[in-house]
Amino acid sequence: MPFITVRFSSFRNLEDGEIDVAGKRVFLVGENGQGKTNFLEALYYLSYGSSFRGAVDTEVARRGTGYFALEATSRMEGSDEDLPPEKVIVSWKERTKTIRRGEKPLRDRKELIGINPTIIFCHEDFSFAVGEPERRRFFFDQTAGLVSSLYIDLLREYKRILKQRNAALKEGQVSVLEFLDEQLVSRGKDLMEERARIQADFEERIAVLYEEVSLLGREIRLRYRPSWPNDAGRNELVDYLARRRSEELALGTSLSGPHRDRWLFFSEGEEFTATASTGQHRLLTLVLRIAQAEYYSAQTGRKPVLLFDDVLLELDPGKRRRFLSALPDAAQAFFTFLPGEPWEDYRSEGTIVYRVEHGRLAD
Amino acid sequence: MKALEELVGLLTRLPGIGRKSALRVAYHLLKTDQAYAEALAERIRGLKSAIRFCSVCGSYAESDPCPVCASPARDRSTICVVEQPQDVVTIEGAHEYRGLYHVLGGLISPLDGVGPEQLRVDALVARLRGGEVREVVIATNPTVEGDTTALYLKRLLEPTGAQVTRLATGIPVGGDLEYADRLTLARSFRGRVRL
Repeated sequence: MPFITVRFSSFRNLEDGEIDVAGKRVFLVGENGQGKTNFLEALYYLSYGSSFRGAVDTEVARRGTGYFALEATSRMEGSDEDLPPEKVIVSWKERTKTIRRGEKPLRDRKELIGINPTIIFCHEDFSFAVGEPERRRFFFDQTAGLVSSLYIDLLREYKRILKQRNAALKEGQVSVLEFLDEQLVSRGKDLMEERARIQADFEERIAVLYEEVSLLGREIRLRYRPSWPNDAGRNELVDYLARRRSEELALGTSLSGPHRDRWLFFSEGEEFTATASTGQHRLLTLVLRIAQAEYYSAQTGRKPVLLFDDVLLELDPGKRRRFLSALPDAAQAFFTFLPGEPWEDYRSEGTIVYRVEHGRLAD
Repeated sequence: MKALEELVGLLTRLPGIGRKSALRVAYHLLKTDQAYAEALAERIRGLKSAIRFCSVCGSYAESDPCPVCASPARDRSTICVVEQPQDVVTIEGAHEYRGLYHVLGGLISPLDGVGPEQLRVDALVARLRGGEVREVVIATNPTVEGDTTALYLKRLLEPTGAQVTRLATGIPVGGDLEYADRLTLARSFRGRVRL
Protein backbone atom coordinates (compact mmCIF):
# COMPACT_ATOMS: atom_id res chain seq x y z
CA MET A 1 0.00 0.00 0.00
CA PRO A 2 1.77 3.17 -1.15
CA PHE A 3 2.57 5.91 1.33
CA ILE A 4 0.99 9.28 0.56
CA THR A 5 2.55 11.48 3.22
CA VAL A 6 5.06 11.06 6.01
CA ARG A 7 5.32 13.40 8.96
CA PHE A 8 8.41 13.63 11.17
CA SER A 9 8.80 15.07 14.59
CA SER A 10 12.10 14.98 16.45
CA PHE A 11 13.23 11.92 14.49
CA ARG A 12 17.03 11.68 13.99
CA ASN A 13 18.29 14.68 12.01
CA LEU A 14 15.16 15.00 9.86
CA GLU A 15 13.52 18.40 9.83
CA ASP A 16 10.08 18.40 11.48
CA GLY A 17 7.23 18.57 8.98
CA GLU A 18 5.19 16.66 6.45
CA ILE A 19 6.60 15.28 3.20
CA ASP A 20 4.54 14.33 0.17
CA VAL A 21 5.55 10.91 -1.17
CA ALA A 22 2.57 10.10 -3.40
CA GLY A 23 4.55 8.65 -6.29
CA LYS A 24 5.34 5.17 -7.58
CA ARG A 25 9.03 5.87 -7.07
CA VAL A 26 10.63 8.28 -4.64
CA PHE A 27 14.33 9.19 -4.99
CA LEU A 28 16.29 10.67 -2.13
CA VAL A 29 19.46 12.24 -3.45
CA GLY A 30 22.17 13.58 -1.19
CA GLU A 31 25.67 13.25 0.22
CA ASN A 32 26.41 10.80 3.01
CA GLY A 33 25.20 11.71 6.47
CA GLN A 34 22.45 14.06 5.28
CA GLY A 35 19.46 11.99 6.36
CA LYS A 36 18.55 9.69 3.43
CA THR A 37 18.82 6.49 5.43
CA ASN A 38 17.05 8.15 8.36
CA PHE A 39 14.11 8.73 6.04
CA LEU A 40 13.97 5.03 5.11
CA GLU A 41 14.37 4.13 8.77
CA ALA A 42 11.30 6.26 9.54
CA LEU A 43 9.26 4.36 6.94
CA TYR A 44 10.50 1.07 8.38
CA TYR A 45 9.46 2.22 11.85
CA LEU A 46 6.02 2.98 10.46
CA SER A 47 5.68 -0.55 9.14
CA TYR A 48 7.42 -2.60 11.88
CA GLY A 49 7.58 -0.29 14.89
CA SER A 50 11.36 -0.64 15.12
CA SER A 51 14.61 0.19 13.32
CA PHE A 52 16.27 -1.94 10.64
CA ARG A 53 19.66 -0.71 11.82
CA GLY A 54 19.29 -2.29 15.23
CA ALA A 55 18.92 1.15 16.79
CA VAL A 56 16.86 1.48 19.94
CA ASP A 57 14.17 4.11 20.43
CA THR A 58 16.39 6.35 22.56
CA GLU A 59 18.88 6.59 19.70
CA VAL A 60 16.43 7.67 17.03
CA ALA A 61 14.86 10.46 19.10
CA ARG A 62 16.66 13.72 18.29
CA ARG A 63 19.33 14.32 20.87
CA GLY A 64 18.14 16.11 23.98
CA THR A 65 14.43 15.91 23.16
CA GLY A 66 13.54 12.52 24.67
CA TYR A 67 10.72 11.90 22.23
CA PHE A 68 9.90 11.32 18.59
CA ALA A 69 6.76 10.92 16.53
CA LEU A 70 6.16 9.64 13.02
CA GLU A 71 2.94 9.63 11.08
CA ALA A 72 2.16 8.18 7.68
CA THR A 73 -0.88 8.13 5.50
CA SER A 74 -1.30 5.48 2.84
CA ARG A 75 -4.02 4.19 0.58
CA MET A 76 -4.63 0.87 -1.14
CA GLU A 77 -3.70 1.04 -4.81
CA GLY A 78 -6.65 1.64 -7.09
CA SER A 79 -8.96 2.61 -4.25
CA ASP A 80 -11.06 5.74 -4.48
CA GLU A 81 -9.23 9.01 -3.89
CA ASP A 82 -12.03 10.31 -1.73
CA LEU A 83 -11.70 7.39 0.70
CA PRO A 84 -9.99 8.57 3.85
CA PRO A 85 -6.41 7.25 3.88
CA GLU A 86 -5.08 4.76 6.40
CA LYS A 87 -3.13 6.57 9.11
CA VAL A 88 -0.39 5.04 11.25
CA ILE A 89 1.36 6.88 14.08
CA VAL A 90 4.43 5.64 15.91
CA SER A 91 5.56 7.77 18.82
CA TRP A 92 7.93 7.42 21.72
CA LYS A 93 7.84 9.53 24.83
CA GLU A 94 8.90 9.00 28.43
CA ARG A 95 10.41 5.68 27.42
CA THR A 96 7.06 4.38 26.18
CA LYS A 97 6.33 3.59 22.56
CA THR A 98 2.80 4.00 21.29
CA ILE A 99 1.59 2.71 17.96
CA ARG A 100 -1.77 3.84 16.66
CA ARG A 101 -3.83 3.01 13.62
CA GLY A 102 -5.92 6.13 13.18
CA GLU A 103 -7.21 6.83 16.67
CA LYS A 104 -6.95 3.24 17.81
CA PRO A 105 -3.88 2.22 19.82
CA LEU A 106 -2.42 -1.14 18.75
CA ARG A 107 -1.71 -3.48 21.61
CA ASP A 108 0.96 -5.44 19.83
CA ARG A 109 3.59 -4.59 17.25
CA LYS A 110 2.54 -7.61 15.21
CA GLU A 111 -0.78 -5.89 14.43
CA LEU A 112 1.21 -3.16 12.70
CA ILE A 113 3.16 -5.53 10.47
CA GLY A 114 0.09 -6.58 8.51
CA ILE A 115 -0.95 -3.03 7.65
CA ASN A 116 1.78 -1.83 5.37
CA PRO A 117 4.88 -4.00 5.28
CA THR A 118 8.01 -2.67 3.67
CA ILE A 119 10.95 -4.70 2.42
CA ILE A 120 14.28 -3.03 3.09
CA PHE A 121 17.41 -3.59 1.01
CA CYS A 122 20.26 -2.28 3.10
CA HIS A 123 23.90 -2.65 3.97
CA GLU A 124 23.13 -4.53 7.20
CA ASP A 125 21.70 -7.37 5.08
CA PHE A 126 25.26 -8.38 4.24
CA SER A 127 25.26 -10.41 7.43
CA PHE A 128 22.60 -12.71 5.96
CA ALA A 129 25.33 -14.06 3.67
CA VAL A 130 28.38 -13.98 5.91
CA GLY A 131 27.18 -13.34 9.46
CA GLU A 132 26.25 -15.57 12.34
CA PRO A 133 23.55 -18.25 11.78
CA GLU A 134 21.29 -16.12 13.99
CA ARG A 135 21.14 -13.48 11.24
CA ARG A 136 19.82 -15.96 8.67
CA ARG A 137 17.29 -17.25 11.19
CA PHE A 138 16.21 -13.64 11.68
CA PHE A 139 15.71 -13.20 7.94
CA PHE A 140 13.60 -16.32 7.47
CA ASP A 141 11.65 -15.71 10.67
CA GLN A 142 10.90 -12.21 9.44
CA THR A 143 9.81 -13.64 6.08
CA ALA A 144 7.43 -16.08 7.77
CA GLY A 145 6.16 -13.39 10.14
CA LEU A 146 5.36 -11.07 7.24
CA VAL A 147 2.71 -13.42 5.96
CA SER A 148 1.54 -15.05 9.18
CA SER A 149 1.10 -13.46 12.59
CA LEU A 150 0.55 -16.99 13.83
CA TYR A 151 4.22 -17.65 13.13
CA ILE A 152 5.15 -14.63 15.25
CA ASP A 153 3.03 -16.00 18.10
CA LEU A 154 4.57 -19.43 17.68
CA LEU A 155 8.10 -18.06 17.76
CA ARG A 156 7.36 -15.93 20.81
CA GLU A 157 5.90 -18.92 22.64
CA TYR A 158 8.88 -21.04 21.70
CA LYS A 159 11.28 -18.38 22.97
CA ARG A 160 9.36 -18.07 26.23
CA ILE A 161 9.50 -21.84 26.79
CA LEU A 162 13.20 -21.83 25.91
CA LYS A 163 13.87 -19.10 28.47
CA GLN A 164 12.02 -21.03 31.17
CA ARG A 165 13.84 -24.20 30.19
CA ASN A 166 17.25 -22.52 30.29
CA ALA A 167 16.44 -21.12 33.73
CA ALA A 168 15.41 -24.59 34.91
CA LEU A 169 18.64 -26.07 33.51
CA LYS A 170 20.72 -23.38 35.17
CA GLU A 171 18.97 -23.80 38.52
CA GLY A 172 18.98 -27.58 38.26
CA GLN A 173 15.18 -27.81 38.55
CA VAL A 174 15.10 -31.30 37.09
CA SER A 175 11.53 -32.05 38.16
CA VAL A 176 10.00 -29.55 35.72
CA LEU A 177 12.31 -30.16 32.76
CA GLU A 178 10.37 -33.02 31.22
CA PHE A 179 7.26 -30.83 31.04
CA LEU A 180 9.17 -27.98 29.45
CA ASP A 181 10.64 -30.51 27.00
CA GLU A 182 7.15 -31.51 25.92
CA GLN A 183 6.20 -27.91 25.25
CA LEU A 184 9.51 -27.08 23.56
CA VAL A 185 9.05 -30.02 21.21
CA SER A 186 5.43 -29.16 20.49
CA ARG A 187 6.12 -25.55 19.43
CA GLY A 188 9.52 -26.47 18.00
CA LYS A 189 8.04 -29.03 15.61
CA ASP A 190 5.49 -26.48 14.41
CA LEU A 191 8.30 -23.99 13.76
CA MET A 192 10.30 -26.62 11.88
CA GLU A 193 7.33 -27.41 9.66
CA GLU A 194 6.86 -23.73 8.82
CA ARG A 195 10.55 -23.29 8.11
CA ALA A 196 10.63 -26.36 5.87
CA ARG A 197 7.72 -24.90 3.91
CA ILE A 198 9.65 -21.67 3.38
CA GLN A 199 12.74 -23.57 2.32
CA ALA A 200 10.74 -25.46 -0.31
CA ASP A 201 9.45 -22.17 -1.68
CA PHE A 202 12.72 -20.24 -1.52
CA GLU A 203 15.02 -22.91 -2.94
CA GLU A 204 13.87 -22.53 -6.52
CA ARG A 205 13.17 -18.84 -6.21
CA ILE A 206 16.68 -18.00 -5.04
CA ALA A 207 18.39 -20.21 -7.61
CA VAL A 208 16.49 -18.60 -10.48
CA LEU A 209 16.88 -15.04 -9.22
CA TYR A 210 20.59 -15.36 -8.53
CA GLU A 211 21.27 -16.58 -12.03
CA GLU A 212 19.01 -13.95 -13.52
CA VAL A 213 20.95 -11.10 -11.91
CA SER A 214 24.48 -12.50 -11.87
CA LEU A 215 24.59 -14.44 -15.17
CA LEU A 216 27.44 -16.40 -13.61
CA GLY A 217 26.08 -19.83 -14.36
CA ARG A 218 26.54 -20.67 -10.71
CA GLU A 219 23.65 -22.41 -9.09
CA ILE A 220 22.78 -21.47 -5.54
CA ARG A 221 20.87 -23.86 -3.35
CA LEU A 222 19.28 -23.02 -0.04
CA ARG A 223 19.35 -25.70 2.62
CA TYR A 224 17.48 -25.80 5.89
CA ARG A 225 19.32 -27.81 8.53
CA PRO A 226 17.21 -28.21 11.63
CA SER A 227 19.05 -28.77 14.87
CA TRP A 228 16.72 -31.67 15.73
CA PRO A 229 16.55 -34.78 13.54
CA ASN A 230 14.11 -33.80 10.80
CA ASP A 231 12.09 -36.99 10.60
CA ALA A 232 11.79 -37.58 14.34
CA GLY A 233 8.30 -37.58 15.79
CA ARG A 234 7.32 -35.66 18.91
CA ASN A 235 7.84 -38.55 21.32
CA GLU A 236 11.21 -39.37 19.81
CA LEU A 237 12.27 -35.75 20.25
CA VAL A 238 11.20 -35.73 23.88
CA ASP A 239 13.34 -38.86 24.37
CA TYR A 240 16.18 -37.19 22.47
CA LEU A 241 16.09 -34.26 24.90
CA ALA A 242 15.94 -36.58 27.90
CA ARG A 243 19.05 -38.39 26.69
CA ARG A 244 21.02 -35.16 26.58
CA ARG A 245 19.82 -34.05 30.00
CA SER A 246 23.08 -34.37 31.92
CA GLU A 247 25.03 -32.51 29.25
CA GLU A 248 22.51 -29.67 29.22
CA LEU A 249 22.37 -29.51 33.01
CA ALA A 250 26.15 -29.28 33.13
CA LEU A 251 26.17 -26.36 30.72
CA GLY A 252 22.96 -24.79 32.01
CA THR A 253 21.51 -24.15 28.58
CA SER A 254 19.43 -25.75 25.83
CA LEU A 255 21.82 -27.22 23.32
CA SER A 256 19.36 -28.17 20.61
CA GLY A 257 16.14 -26.98 19.06
CA PRO A 258 14.92 -24.50 16.44
CA HIS A 259 16.92 -21.72 18.13
CA ARG A 260 19.97 -23.56 16.80
CA ASP A 261 18.60 -24.28 13.31
CA ARG A 262 20.82 -23.38 10.40
CA TRP A 263 20.14 -21.98 6.99
CA LEU A 264 22.94 -22.63 4.51
CA PHE A 265 23.68 -21.74 0.91
CA PHE A 266 25.39 -24.24 -1.32
CA SER A 267 26.88 -23.91 -4.74
CA GLU A 268 28.31 -26.80 -6.73
CA GLY A 269 28.37 -28.99 -3.65
CA GLU A 270 30.30 -26.51 -1.50
CA GLU A 271 29.13 -24.07 1.07
CA PHE A 272 28.67 -20.84 -0.82
CA THR A 273 29.74 -18.56 2.03
CA ALA A 274 33.18 -20.13 2.14
CA THR A 275 33.96 -19.76 -1.54
CA ALA A 276 32.05 -16.71 -2.78
CA SER A 277 33.51 -13.26 -3.31
CA THR A 278 32.28 -10.12 -1.54
CA GLY A 279 30.37 -9.14 -4.67
CA GLN A 280 28.67 -12.52 -4.83
CA HIS A 281 27.71 -12.29 -1.18
CA ARG A 282 26.26 -8.87 -1.78
CA LEU A 283 24.29 -10.17 -4.72
CA LEU A 284 22.97 -13.05 -2.66
CA THR A 285 21.61 -10.69 0.00
CA LEU A 286 19.85 -8.62 -2.66
CA VAL A 287 18.37 -11.78 -4.13
CA LEU A 288 17.16 -12.82 -0.68
CA ARG A 289 15.28 -9.56 -0.31
CA ILE A 290 13.74 -9.85 -3.78
CA ALA A 291 12.66 -13.39 -2.90
CA GLN A 292 11.17 -12.09 0.35
CA ALA A 293 9.15 -9.48 -1.54
CA GLU A 294 7.99 -12.08 -4.10
CA TYR A 295 7.06 -14.51 -1.34
CA TYR A 296 5.05 -11.84 0.43
CA SER A 297 3.14 -11.02 -2.77
CA ALA A 298 2.54 -14.67 -3.61
CA GLN A 299 1.23 -15.48 -0.15
CA THR A 300 -0.87 -12.41 0.49
CA GLY A 301 -1.83 -11.21 -2.96
CA ARG A 302 -0.59 -7.75 -1.94
CA LYS A 303 2.36 -5.75 -3.21
CA PRO A 304 4.96 -4.54 -0.70
CA VAL A 305 6.67 -1.16 -0.50
CA LEU A 306 10.38 -1.52 -1.27
CA LEU A 307 13.11 0.54 0.40
CA PHE A 308 16.57 0.63 -1.20
CA ASP A 309 19.37 2.06 0.85
CA ASP A 310 22.39 2.71 -1.40
CA VAL A 311 22.23 -0.76 -2.91
CA LEU A 312 22.66 0.13 -6.54
CA LEU A 313 25.96 1.80 -5.73
CA GLU A 314 27.65 -1.52 -5.18
CA LEU A 315 26.61 -3.13 -8.46
CA ASP A 316 28.23 -2.77 -11.88
CA PRO A 317 26.00 -1.25 -14.58
CA GLY A 318 24.97 -4.61 -16.08
CA LYS A 319 23.98 -6.12 -12.73
CA ARG A 320 22.26 -2.91 -11.78
CA ARG A 321 20.06 -3.13 -14.86
CA ARG A 322 19.29 -6.80 -14.36
CA PHE A 323 18.66 -6.28 -10.63
CA LEU A 324 16.14 -3.56 -11.39
CA SER A 325 14.36 -5.69 -13.95
CA ALA A 326 14.24 -8.65 -11.55
CA LEU A 327 12.45 -6.59 -8.91
CA PRO A 328 8.95 -7.75 -8.16
CA ASP A 329 6.03 -5.50 -8.84
CA ALA A 330 5.94 -3.11 -5.90
CA ALA A 331 3.27 -0.83 -4.54
CA GLN A 332 5.95 1.83 -4.24
CA ALA A 333 9.73 2.06 -4.10
CA PHE A 334 12.08 4.44 -2.29
CA PHE A 335 15.71 4.75 -3.41
CA THR A 336 18.64 6.64 -1.92
CA PHE A 337 21.34 7.96 -4.24
CA LEU A 338 24.58 9.89 -3.99
CA PRO A 339 24.53 13.00 -6.18
CA GLY A 340 27.14 11.48 -8.52
CA GLU A 341 25.07 8.43 -9.35
CA PRO A 342 23.14 8.28 -12.65
CA TRP A 343 19.81 8.40 -10.86
CA GLU A 344 18.30 10.42 -13.70
CA ASP A 345 18.52 7.25 -15.82
CA TYR A 346 16.23 5.34 -13.47
CA ARG A 347 13.66 8.05 -13.32
CA SER A 348 10.29 7.35 -14.85
CA GLU A 349 7.02 9.19 -15.10
CA GLY A 350 5.68 10.17 -11.72
CA THR A 351 9.01 9.71 -9.91
CA ILE A 352 9.37 12.15 -7.04
CA VAL A 353 12.90 13.42 -6.39
CA TYR A 354 14.01 15.02 -3.15
CA ARG A 355 17.41 16.53 -2.45
CA VAL A 356 18.42 15.75 1.09
CA GLU A 357 20.71 18.16 2.91
CA HIS A 358 21.22 18.47 6.68
CA GLY A 359 17.99 16.57 7.32
CA ARG A 360 16.02 18.86 5.07
CA LEU A 361 14.17 17.58 2.00
CA ALA A 362 13.74 19.90 -0.97
CA ASP A 363 12.22 19.31 -4.44
CA MET B 1 5.65 17.62 52.11
CA LYS B 2 7.04 14.55 53.80
CA ALA B 3 3.68 12.96 54.70
CA LEU B 4 2.46 13.18 51.12
CA GLU B 5 5.71 11.89 49.66
CA GLU B 6 5.72 8.93 52.03
CA LEU B 7 2.16 8.02 51.10
CA VAL B 8 2.95 8.31 47.39
CA GLY B 9 5.98 6.10 47.92
CA LEU B 10 3.83 3.42 49.56
CA LEU B 11 1.09 3.65 46.95
CA THR B 12 3.49 3.17 44.03
CA ARG B 13 4.38 -0.22 45.49
CA LEU B 14 0.83 -1.39 44.75
CA PRO B 15 0.28 -3.37 41.54
CA GLY B 16 -0.73 -1.29 38.51
CA ILE B 17 -0.05 2.03 40.25
CA GLY B 18 2.66 4.29 38.93
CA ARG B 19 3.82 7.59 40.38
CA LYS B 20 1.21 9.62 38.50
CA SER B 21 -1.70 7.50 39.72
CA ALA B 22 -0.27 7.48 43.24
CA LEU B 23 -0.12 11.30 43.23
CA ARG B 24 -3.69 11.48 41.98
CA VAL B 25 -4.87 9.15 44.75
CA ALA B 26 -2.90 11.03 47.41
CA TYR B 27 -4.29 14.42 46.38
CA HIS B 28 -7.76 12.95 46.19
CA LEU B 29 -7.41 11.72 49.77
CA LEU B 30 -6.28 15.18 50.86
CA LYS B 31 -9.38 16.70 49.33
CA THR B 32 -11.85 14.08 50.49
CA ASP B 33 -13.66 14.25 53.86
CA GLN B 34 -12.00 12.96 56.99
CA ALA B 35 -14.53 10.17 57.62
CA TYR B 36 -13.80 8.52 54.29
CA ALA B 37 -10.03 8.65 54.77
CA GLU B 38 -10.38 7.17 58.24
CA ALA B 39 -12.72 4.41 57.09
CA LEU B 40 -10.25 3.52 54.35
CA ALA B 41 -7.31 3.50 56.76
CA GLU B 42 -9.28 1.39 59.22
CA ARG B 43 -10.18 -1.21 56.55
CA ILE B 44 -6.62 -1.44 55.37
CA ARG B 45 -5.43 -1.89 58.97
CA GLY B 46 -8.05 -4.55 59.69
CA LEU B 47 -7.63 -6.44 56.43
CA LYS B 48 -4.77 -8.70 57.44
CA SER B 49 -6.34 -9.69 60.76
CA ALA B 50 -9.85 -10.20 59.39
CA ILE B 51 -8.89 -12.25 56.37
CA ARG B 52 -6.83 -15.42 56.59
CA PHE B 53 -5.86 -18.37 54.48
CA CYS B 54 -8.18 -21.34 54.37
CA SER B 55 -6.00 -24.19 55.60
CA VAL B 56 -7.75 -26.60 53.21
CA CYS B 57 -7.87 -24.87 49.83
CA GLY B 58 -5.47 -21.95 50.37
CA SER B 59 -7.99 -19.34 49.38
CA TYR B 60 -8.68 -16.17 51.39
CA ALA B 61 -11.62 -16.18 53.78
CA GLU B 62 -12.87 -14.75 57.05
CA SER B 63 -13.17 -18.24 58.49
CA ASP B 64 -11.02 -21.35 58.38
CA PRO B 65 -12.05 -23.56 56.65
CA CYS B 66 -13.56 -21.16 54.14
CA PRO B 67 -17.31 -21.24 53.39
CA VAL B 68 -16.74 -23.26 50.21
CA CYS B 69 -14.66 -25.95 51.93
CA ALA B 70 -17.09 -26.05 54.87
CA SER B 71 -20.27 -26.20 52.81
CA PRO B 72 -22.04 -29.59 52.74
CA ALA B 73 -23.74 -28.51 49.51
CA ARG B 74 -20.50 -28.57 47.50
CA ASP B 75 -19.52 -31.54 45.36
CA ARG B 76 -16.57 -33.12 47.20
CA SER B 77 -15.59 -35.37 44.32
CA THR B 78 -14.24 -32.48 42.21
CA ILE B 79 -11.37 -30.09 42.91
CA CYS B 80 -10.62 -27.11 40.69
CA VAL B 81 -6.96 -26.07 40.79
CA VAL B 82 -6.29 -22.35 40.35
CA GLU B 83 -3.22 -20.14 40.46
CA GLN B 84 -4.33 -17.49 42.95
CA PRO B 85 -7.18 -16.72 45.38
CA GLN B 86 -8.73 -14.15 43.01
CA ASP B 87 -9.37 -16.95 40.51
CA VAL B 88 -11.74 -18.58 43.01
CA VAL B 89 -13.79 -15.38 43.13
CA THR B 90 -13.87 -15.23 39.34
CA ILE B 91 -15.03 -18.84 38.94
CA GLU B 92 -17.55 -18.51 41.78
CA GLY B 93 -18.98 -15.48 39.96
CA ALA B 94 -19.97 -17.71 37.04
CA HIS B 95 -22.18 -19.93 39.29
CA GLU B 96 -21.34 -22.91 37.10
CA TYR B 97 -18.93 -24.90 39.21
CA ARG B 98 -20.17 -26.66 42.36
CA GLY B 99 -17.05 -28.48 43.49
CA LEU B 100 -14.12 -27.52 45.73
CA TYR B 101 -11.02 -25.46 45.04
CA HIS B 102 -7.31 -25.66 45.52
CA VAL B 103 -5.13 -22.55 45.25
CA LEU B 104 -1.53 -23.21 44.15
CA GLY B 105 -0.24 -19.78 45.08
CA GLY B 106 1.62 -19.34 41.79
CA LEU B 107 2.73 -21.21 38.69
CA ILE B 108 5.87 -23.13 37.88
CA SER B 109 8.30 -20.59 36.48
CA PRO B 110 12.01 -21.35 36.70
CA LEU B 111 12.71 -17.80 35.47
CA ASP B 112 11.17 -16.46 38.68
CA GLY B 113 12.72 -19.21 40.75
CA VAL B 114 9.35 -20.90 41.30
CA GLY B 115 9.36 -24.68 41.22
CA PRO B 116 6.72 -27.16 42.42
CA GLU B 117 8.21 -27.01 45.93
CA GLN B 118 7.20 -23.35 46.22
CA LEU B 119 3.58 -24.16 45.34
CA ARG B 120 0.86 -25.86 47.38
CA VAL B 121 1.29 -29.07 45.44
CA ASP B 122 1.93 -31.44 48.37
CA ALA B 123 -1.26 -30.21 50.03
CA LEU B 124 -3.17 -31.05 46.85
CA VAL B 125 -1.77 -34.57 46.71
CA ALA B 126 -2.68 -35.01 50.39
CA ARG B 127 -6.26 -33.97 49.67
CA LEU B 128 -6.52 -36.66 47.01
CA ARG B 129 -5.34 -39.41 49.33
CA GLY B 130 -8.78 -40.03 50.81
CA GLY B 131 -9.97 -41.39 47.45
CA GLU B 132 -13.09 -39.26 47.53
CA VAL B 133 -11.93 -36.97 44.71
CA ARG B 134 -12.74 -38.31 41.24
CA GLU B 135 -11.83 -35.32 39.08
CA VAL B 136 -9.24 -32.55 39.24
CA VAL B 137 -9.98 -29.62 36.93
CA ILE B 138 -6.87 -27.60 36.17
CA ALA B 139 -7.82 -23.97 35.61
CA THR B 140 -4.41 -22.36 35.08
CA ASN B 141 -4.08 -19.71 32.38
CA PRO B 142 -3.18 -20.87 28.86
CA THR B 143 0.35 -19.44 29.08
CA VAL B 144 3.72 -21.19 29.00
CA GLU B 145 3.81 -21.19 32.82
CA GLY B 146 0.17 -22.31 33.08
CA ASP B 147 0.80 -25.10 30.57
CA THR B 148 3.94 -26.31 32.36
CA THR B 149 2.10 -26.40 35.68
CA ALA B 150 -0.84 -28.27 34.13
CA LEU B 151 1.45 -30.88 32.54
CA TYR B 152 3.31 -31.28 35.83
CA LEU B 153 0.09 -31.78 37.81
CA LYS B 154 -1.31 -34.21 35.27
CA ARG B 155 1.72 -36.45 35.61
CA LEU B 156 1.77 -36.11 39.39
CA LEU B 157 -1.91 -36.81 39.94
CA GLU B 158 -2.47 -39.61 37.44
CA PRO B 159 -1.42 -42.39 39.86
CA THR B 160 -4.08 -41.25 42.34
CA GLY B 161 -6.76 -42.54 39.97
CA ALA B 162 -8.52 -39.19 39.74
CA GLN B 163 -9.33 -37.95 36.28
CA VAL B 164 -7.31 -34.82 35.42
CA THR B 165 -9.00 -32.32 33.09
CA ARG B 166 -8.18 -28.82 31.93
CA LEU B 167 -10.42 -25.88 31.11
CA ALA B 168 -11.08 -25.53 27.37
CA THR B 169 -9.49 -22.66 25.43
CA GLY B 170 -11.09 -21.08 22.43
CA ILE B 171 -13.48 -18.52 21.04
CA PRO B 172 -15.18 -16.48 23.79
CA VAL B 173 -18.94 -16.93 24.05
CA GLY B 174 -20.78 -14.15 22.25
CA GLY B 175 -17.48 -13.34 20.56
CA ASP B 176 -17.03 -12.88 16.88
CA LEU B 177 -14.79 -15.15 14.80
CA GLU B 178 -13.73 -12.07 12.91
CA TYR B 179 -12.22 -10.52 16.04
CA ALA B 180 -10.63 -13.62 17.55
CA ASP B 181 -6.86 -13.46 17.49
CA ARG B 182 -5.25 -16.09 15.33
CA LEU B 183 -3.61 -18.02 18.12
CA THR B 184 -6.95 -18.41 19.87
CA LEU B 185 -8.50 -19.45 16.58
CA ALA B 186 -5.74 -21.99 15.94
CA ARG B 187 -6.16 -23.44 19.44
CA SER B 188 -9.91 -23.55 18.96
CA PHE B 189 -9.46 -25.63 15.84
CA ARG B 190 -7.19 -28.06 17.64
CA GLY B 191 -9.66 -28.34 20.49
CA ARG B 192 -12.79 -28.61 18.35
CA VAL B 193 -15.54 -30.92 19.61
CA ARG B 194 -18.01 -33.21 17.90
CA LEU B 195 -21.54 -31.82 17.77
